[in-house]
Amino acid sequence: MTPAERIEALLKGKPLDRVPMFSFILGFCARNVGYPVATIYSDPEKSFRAQVLTREQYGYDSEPFYGYASYGGWEFGGEVNLPDGDYEQAPSHGRFVVESEKDVEKLKLPDVKTAGMLPLAMKFSHIQKEHGFSPSVVVGGPFTIAGNICPVDTLCRWLIKKPELANRLLRLATDHIIGVIRYWIDTFGKERVIVQIWEPLASNQIISPKQFEKFVIPFQAELHEKILAMGIRYLLCHICGEQNRNLPYWARVPMGSPGIISIGKEVDITTAIEYFGKTCIIVGNIEPAILQTGTPQEIYELCRQAIEKGKLAPRGYALMQGCEVPVNTPSYNLYTMRRAINDFGWYE
Amino acid sequence: MATEEEIQKLLKGLHDAVVNMDEVAAQELSQVVLEKDVSAYLAVTQGLASGMNTVGDLYARQEYFVPEVLLCSDALCAGLEVLRPHIKVSGVEKKRQIVIGTVEGDIHDIGKNLVKIMFEAAGWTVHDLGRDVQLHRFVEEQAKTGSDVVALSALMTTSMMAMPKVIEMLRAENSDVAVMVGGAPLSRDIARSYGADGYADNAGEAVHEAVKMLEKLNR
Repeated sequence: MTPAERIEALLKGKPLDRVPMFSFILGFCARNVGYPVATIYSDPEKSFRAQVLTREQYGYDSEPFYGYASYGGWEFGGEVNLPDGDYEQAPSHGRFVVESEKDVEKLKLPDVKTAGMLPLAMKFSHIQKEHGFSPSVVVGGPFTIAGNICPVDTLCRWLIKKPELANRLLRLATDHIIGVIRYWIDTFGKERVIVQIWEPLASNQIISPKQFEKFVIPFQAELHEKILAMGIRYLLCHICGEQNRNLPYWARVPMGSPGIISIGKEVDITTAIEYFGKTCIIVGNIEPAILQTGTPQEIYELCRQAIEKGKLAPRGYALMQGCEVPVNTPSYNLYTMRRAINDFGWYE
Repeated sequence: MATEEEIQKLLKGLHDAVVNMDEVAAQELSQVVLEKDVSAYLAVTQGLASGMNTVGDLYARQEYFVPEVLLCSDALCAGLEVLRPHIKVSGVEKKRQIVIGTVEGDIHDIGKNLVKIMFEAAGWTVHDLGRDVQLHRFVEEQAKTGSDVVALSALMTTSMMAMPKVIEMLRAENSDVAVMVGGAPLSRDIARSYGADGYADNAGEAVHEAVKMLEKLNR
């Protein structure tokens, strides 16, 4: 099967020749082809080229995409800095638009056609379309966007002391995401657009399961319901970090049929299958830190275990990293994932 | 003069104010401590700081999360603001010192700030370099302050690669300094491979780990 045929079969629940391999990979691609890491975010053409070439080199099935976890800060009026130096790989916050309670009142929904990185993301999607790929749009979940509009520690304090302010940010973030997706649908058609939602800040490394239930789930569920009602067929939800105690709540959120759930190293693949396997394709969860610092043998073994667990998923499984591939990952370590797929990924 | 019973009640009140995230109570009770001429040092160590220790345990047991810990630390700071100017330095044992920061390339500082709070609550002098700290700054600050421990934090897998470099730079300058590392992508194995002396899985365990590390190193 070609990568396109394999992805189509996975999404349609048809037989596959082998477990597909996805890659959560951005900055690595830039460095891989000799561009500065920032290029992946600042120059859609070079970003696309770097990703296509790296995909060809490592032989994974997933398609190029454009996005980053600090999305929302710039779009609502703050500033982000592009990655620079030896130890950076993604845009980071320069200035938050909301620093105090007063700033929340002044906050307005940004124009999705002009705000922040959205013109670059739209340009990237046009390039995707020109090359026969599905235009994708990558956003944070409402809680992550709220935590990109104001500092996370401020948001955390407001959850307890000023829940009305937290809810206001979550409302704006939800409405903004819906506006962005509507813009992509208007441009490319609902049949073609693939939506990715990344939700790292709602992990239990930051908030409690109770706070997750109270603040995250109402907005996340509303968002997914509205996206699916707009006719989006495929929604990839990356539930990043330690989310084990949130899983019963995530399981209540509509993901589409099939949904695509991407998990981090903290969530076991078998556990993910128990919660989501009946309705979702499971994707993950090779630990990026081991990819970067481990030996090829360690990575090979980790992939073997992941493939063996994932192969049992009723709606399918794709081997992927549990989060973004670090830019300093040794080349052979990344290739090792492909080697493991070749050795263990084939279906009878 | 306060009776022993009154003192114990005040200390418990301060402890509970921190645990219950009650800034106003922490401030008011600290004021009462001064009015009743109770030792400010005692009120900090056995009241406020003891409360923060309980918070650290609650955090380690995942009963408290970042929002709760931040508000507890706000209560701690509210009390400290009142009491700190009245702490008599004489007779107090020499404080341990720590240099802390999130390494170059990484702007995530919530974890680092939680660790900082725990060390402050435990009575250490903390030299906080902030976030996205250039590597040589750790070496300079340690040399300047003669700190016992340097603590390095990173959330990103790419920026954690700066840690072995800092450790190498610190060792070249002062082979005696104890270094601990922490952050989501780290593990005890990675910490060991980087040459760190200590690793804490979460902020609640960081002080305990530092003390254990120094004992092991006989410092």
